[in-house]
Amino acid sequence: MVAISIENVWKYYGETVAVQDLNLECRDGEFVCVLGPSGCGKSSTMRMLAGLEHISAGQILFGDKRINELAPKDRDIAMVFENYALYPHKTVAENMANPLRMAGVDKATVTKKVLDAAKLLEIDHLLDRKPVELSGGQKQRVAIGRVIVRQPAVYLFDEPIAHLDAKLRARMRTELKHLQQHQGVTTVYVTHDQLEALSMADRIAVMHDGVLQQFGTPAEIYSNPVNTWVAGFVGEPTMNLILTEVATEADRPKLTHKGFTIDLDGQLGEAALRGNEKALRFGIRPENLKVSLERSPGAIEGTVYTRQLLGSDLLVEVETGNDHFRVRTSPAFEGEVDRPCYISYDLGHAHLFSAETGQSIV
Amino acid sequence: MQKTLRAKRASFSAIEEDHGYAARRLDYGPGALNEEPKRRYHILLMAPAILTLAAITIYPFFWLIYMSLHKVSVARSDRWVGLDNYARLFGDVKYTDGWLLLVKYSALCLTLEILIGVVLAVILNGSRFEKVLVTVFLMPMMMSPVVAGLVWYYLYNGTFGWYHWLFQSIGILGETSILADIDTAMWGLVIVDVWQWTPLITLITLAGLKRVPQDQLEANMVDGAGSLRNFFTVSLPNIYPFLLIAILLRFMDNFRFIDHILVLTGGGPGNATRILPVYLFDVSFQFFKLGRGAAIAFTLLIVTIVLGLILVRIFDDPKKQVASGEAGETTDD
Repeated sequence: MVAISIENVWKYYGETVAVQDLNLECRDGEFVCVLGPSGCGKSSTMRMLAGLEHISAGQILFGDKRINELAPKDRDIAMVFENYALYPHKTVAENMANPLRMAGVDKATVTKKVLDAAKLLEIDHLLDRKPVELSGGQKQRVAIGRVIVRQPAVYLFDEPIAHLDAKLRARMRTELKHLQQHQGVTTVYVTHDQLEALSMADRIAVMHDGVLQQFGTPAEIYSNPVNTWVAGFVGEPTMNLILTEVATEADRPKLTHKGFTIDLDGQLGEAALRGNEKALRFGIRPENLKVSLERSPGAIEGTVYTRQLLGSDLLVEVETGNDHFRVRTSPAFEGEVDRPCYISYDLGHAHLFSAETGQSIV
Repeated sequence: MQKTLRAKRASFSAIEEDHGYAARRLDYGPGALNEEPKRRYHILLMAPAILTLAAITIYPFFWLIYMSLHKVSVARSDRWVGLDNYARLFGDVKYTDGWLLLVKYSALCLTLEILIGVVLAVILNGSRFEKVLVTVFLMPMMMSPVVAGLVWYYLYNGTFGWYHWLFQSIGILGETSILADIDTAMWGLVIVDVWQWTPLITLITLAGLKRVPQDQLEANMVDGAGSLRNFFTVSLPNIYPFLLIAILLRFMDNFRFIDHILVLTGGGPGNATRILPVYLFDVSFQFFKLGRGAAIAFTLLIVTIVLGLILVRIFDDPKKQVASGEAGETTDD
């Protein structure tokens, strides 16, 4: 249980930069997700935390202690690997006991702790089995068991549930979150799944191309993305990001597009004029749009392109002037493909991004 | 009792059963099974191989048994002697000593080769010069055993042998060559075998080390293992099957290859290096007692097969593999 600070950390593989000038602070007991697509530097970051990879520049502190030079075994960490990394020649019990035995804990305590952890994870009936005899979900729980048998200062999770099927993944998200809150151990969790990050983390660090894009609570990341990349990566279905031109009509700013015009006012209007930019990306999440078959004032006109049922919701893609809007609506929506429809929006949920830099300008 | 246990675990297993982890039993079946395609031609395809195999291995095997039950002579026809050839082996001191020497020789060679071979493999694995060094280390193996024997014969030579001079300078040896002394001759042979065949162990171990999963090594490091401990708890159990193959190969070779022994000592001085295969060679091809030779060969063959089968059995048994992993741990603790 310790705070982690990553200070100006760089990671080079030869000439390639994997992590670029990373600065992150994890508070004591916090659950931080590092989110990004493959190759964004999140795994390198995790491996530097674990001591499996040399830190090319900068330093990492656990509390006040610089850990750059410490071997993994001296860092007081526990890690769950993407492929579970169970020892195939050992039974489940022996696998889970490994960190304790390495620490030289006496046999009676080891047995007790392993049994406690196994009960918590509901794998106590599997203790005598070998990893080959386990299903993916069971293996994953053994890997977690190996981590929680002792109380380390830091938990590191490297995409631990990426290989499970969707239903089991949902269940494990809940379990992991509960476990972490229960134990209060500082946790760094690497994932490429934005849903995992949003649902589990106290704070999310979004990375792209080795650069930290945004660090904030899930709510901040979701409702105030700092640039188009974060806006597009987080949230499912993806945020609509439509390229528009800025125009003024009687001193009132508006966004024009082949298929529609949006009158801006208040904060958005000021922001649109401030940068003197000619083109802006208009961003709005599918759930903040409404689609209807009846014309209403100010609504964007288009035609239904596809309908996709998402279970409780319906995702309608509407084509307007060569661009598509995704709208999340109720399955009761009756619009069939190619029929004209009208999208209304609430500018309170809208975002504006610079077309040039992708940065949010609001 | 069963029911409560099941209910307790229902939360997780319910999910898994949904996903088809648990096979479902149906209480009905199809009306008739479709006929599986027949493949008669495979017998035809295999026939040449089986016949060749029979000619080169099975026929000589039975001929060996036949000879061991006869007094075989080149001039006269074979005479049936029953188990006489075998009975006489028990009274033969050279035969029993041959076994003892063979076990000693094989044990020495195997132990040294495995130890040095594994250490070399660990050092070589991931080293910058791995490829070059592996090629260099492989050179002894490329040499024919007779040539290797001759090379070492000169190196050991009491008058001009460079290694003899070296041994002498350190004070290990006196005037007599390593091969001429009853106490050291066996070591002279072991050194040659180790020199020639350790690379094989290194090569096989190296192949095994390449397949040790990186994530297991890393997980163990995070669990708190240092590099030495990491080797014993993760690498060793993973290369264990490879080591067994190496041991199997080498022990069978020790029971068969006597080329360098014939060149270097021919069983001497005295009978100090007359291991059983050498004695077998003497009986059969120096004294031409082919019947007795066949009896010796047959006992040698049986022991080799039995030992081989035991090793293969260990190899196939996953429980033994764990035992080896545990053994590795305790030595390290």
